[in-house]
Amino acid sequence: MADVMKEKLLETPEKRRTDGVSQWSIAWRRFKKNKAALAGLIIVGVIIFIAIFSPIIARYPLNYLASFNEEGKIRVPPSSKYWFGTDYIGRDVFSQIVYGAGNVLYVGFGAAAIAMSLAIVIGITSGYLDGLVDNILMRITEIFLVIPFLLILLVFLRVAMTIAPSGVGGLTTVTLIIGLFSWAPNARIIRGEVLRVKQNEYIEAAVALGASKWRIMFRHVLPNVLHVIIVLTTLQIATAILVEAGVSFLGFGDPNSVTWGQQLQGASEAVKEAWWEGIFPGMFITLLVLGFNLLGNGLRDALDPRLRE
Amino acid sequence: MAPKEILKIENLTTYFYTWAGVVKAVDGVSLDVREGETLGLVGESGSGKSVTALSILRIVPRPGKIIDGKIIYKGENLLAKTENEMQQIRGKEIAYISQDPATSLNPVFSIADQLTEVIRRHQNVTKEEALKKAIELFRLVEIADPEIKIWNYPHQLSGGMKQRIAIARALSCQPSLLLADEPTTNLDVTIQAQILELMKNLKKKLGMSMILITHDMGVVAGVADRINVMYAGRVCEVASTKTIFRNPLHPYTRALLEAVPNVAMKREKLKIIPGAIPNLISPPSGCRFHPRCDFAVAECASVVPPLVEIEPEHYVACIRAKEFMENGKGVKK
Repeated sequence: MADVMKEKLLETPEKRRTDGVSQWSIAWRRFKKNKAALAGLIIVGVIIFIAIFSPIIARYPLNYLASFNEEGKIRVPPSSKYWFGTDYIGRDVFSQIVYGAGNVLYVGFGAAAIAMSLAIVIGITSGYLDGLVDNILMRITEIFLVIPFLLILLVFLRVAMTIAPSGVGGLTTVTLIIGLFSWAPNARIIRGEVLRVKQNEYIEAAVALGASKWRIMFRHVLPNVLHVIIVLTTLQIATAILVEAGVSFLGFGDPNSVTWGQQLQGASEAVKEAWWEGIFPGMFITLLVLGFNLLGNGLRDALDPRLRE
Repeated sequence: MAPKEILKIENLTTYFYTWAGVVKAVDGVSLDVREGETLGLVGESGSGKSVTALSILRIVPRPGKIIDGKIIYKGENLLAKTENEMQQIRGKEIAYISQDPATSLNPVFSIADQLTEVIRRHQNVTKEEALKKAIELFRLVEIADPEIKIWNYPHQLSGGMKQRIAIARALSCQPSLLLADEPTTNLDVTIQAQILELMKNLKKKLGMSMILITHDMGVVAGVADRINVMYAGRVCEVASTKTIFRNPLHPYTRALLEAVPNVAMKREKLKIIPGAIPNLISPPSGCRFHPRCDFAVAECASVVPPLVEIEPEHYVACIRAKEFMENGKGVKK
């Protein structure tokens, strides 16, 4: 909207670009210089690409018992026919990894979206409206912080899977539960950041100019803590992916969805005999989590106001 | 021929409820601002000047609370208004300029966004009209190339420029009263002079009243019509600027004036006021200045001196004010 006005007033967009340099464009310039961060961006980008074009990239249909159907064998070692070998029922490991990418990202982004929405609303409200509201919200946050995350997750997953057995949004349930139980640390970090930001005179100025509480919280404070939120989000995606892999490996995931964690679980029975069955999904998990972490660290360096030149 | 008052504060009392105790930051302050005048609010840091300004807008930060008094603005008591009504007054009727221009602008928005936000908050105009008004404001505060500069972000601008923009933002809805809280403290001396000159001119042009809060006697001398000297949460002396400088009666006002370095002074040592501003959790009894006062008598520790009109338009809160008035500066310690 502001762009439209700018163009009306200034004929050339070039002129405007050089005149108003927002903090975001500065951050992007810094990000571009950081090789590790770019590597992270590329890793994440490639895996998103794989997820989107999985039917084209995969060599066999989803859950197709490739080696079993063709050779009557399971756990065939890697070859030109089965790049990453086949698994305990004869599915092509490579194709399953490709199909799994979308599910893995779904859990990662979905859980992070839920966790971060809660963290943002709770963090900002509690940081800005101190006093009673802050007290209540922070005590709730502390309850979520002290309960053993993995244990409660496994309990809830087992219960959810019993109530809504296979198929009925199995992966969505996993995503929902991971999201609902991992917002607390982020909410605390955002609250801390809000406490810092609200000391600034521009917040006082906004109050003195007649802005309402909600307007200040979400229009003046939120953009100033956005850099923290972006970093936390990327790291939260990585965490959610790891957690999903973990619970799937333990057998608490959704057995009807292909995820890299599920593949690891299948591989766990024969680690010595069929190393390829576990190594490749494991490598992809590591790579993706590493990618998100590099991206997060790069974003933090690029967005941290203290490092700004 | 008493000029009309735009703002009248009666017995304003704002306390801060901290863990260490109740800080009596503003304790029974009464003052008035007349239409079209600039009132200088002078005092050391911690004398309650800023808290008075924040109280007028009712934006005293926690744990501060206005516990008593009346703030009559254009005949209406602001302390009786609801929060929503106050939001309509803030920025539109009474505007506020804070101390530090470097931080009073939001770093993540362009100047255009910040100015149009305020204009659109209080006036029913479209984005384009608001933008046009913002550019006019830029001209008003004498910024060159407003059409280009308006798209800048705060970090691209100098301190003086940012303070001009903060002033422009405060003036965007043509307020009747401007509260300027040490608007030039963080600026270079040359820029300081420019900004003060600008504020003086704008005040005249727009016909508003202004409260100028400062600890700098030089600043008020140049800008204020009347001066209100505060000490430890109370008013000590009120008079026209001329009277305050020519015939200060309260010992604190005198001490303040003597503490200002002067070129004409023969390399004497600067006079300083001994001691520090008192702890406002348990302030001194009686006159709050008496422990640091050269002229204190026994009575000063027990009697709270009322603000008395010693001569027309000259109010002093000191029990020995009459004596000082009659004997000039010759009163012995």
